[in-house]
Amino acid sequence: MDEVDLRIRNHLYGSFVADGRTRTAAETAAALGLGEEEVADAYRRLHDGHALVLHPGTTEIRMLNPFSAVETPHRVEADGRSWFANCAWDALGIPAALHTDGSVSSACPDCGEPLELELRDGELVHGADLLVHFVVPARQWWDDIAFT
Amino acid sequence: MVFLRSEEHLGRWLDRNGWEPGATMSAATLNELARLWWWTRVEPDWRPRTPSESQAILGELGLTGDFWRLT
Repeated sequence: MDEVDLRIRNHLYGSFVADGRTRTAAETAAALGLGEEEVADAYRRLHDGHALVLHPGTTEIRMLNPFSAVETPHRVEADGRSWFANCAWDALGIPAALHTDGSVSSACPDCGEPLELELRDGELVHGADLLVHFVVPARQWWDDIAFT
Repeated sequence: MVFLRSEEHLGRWLDRNGWEPGATMSAATLNELARLWWWTRVEPDWRPRTPSESQAILGELGLTGDFWRLT
């Protein structure tokens, strides 16, 4: 990953954490004084490098892992804001990435009952005994990251 | 991956979807993994990890064996 890609990647994460909004290639190009096509190519390289996830066949951002840019069943409250996470792992990753306490609201996929977890000082003070299941083996995680 | 209430709920969910069991851990263990995995993600000096660095994080929590092999 070269320095321009890192700069773009950092801009995307910084912007998303600041206001919860992803940036189009055109917006990023304008903000960083780069060409739109150059930025679009960088988005695709960052996707290929698993540094973010684009909607298929576009340069529209779907995931800035652990954050989701689309609504999901995993809602996280952290740093005074609401976020969506891509999965259980990412839901706990958002407070970790923001270095803050937080709570997670999800639902059991078997019965649909709400599940609540609460993090304080890095520890789960509520929901620690819930289970997490990985269906997909690690080497296949990125074959279909939305399913994983 | 998803949160589930219990082993009973997990078993029913896998059966209903026709999926083979993968790997199960407590939310507490996943939280440890999340902290190690995501801690630096939004920091400006973030750099991509190598596969072996990521594998080492999994190993630190005892997540070893074929299921957890990244490459």
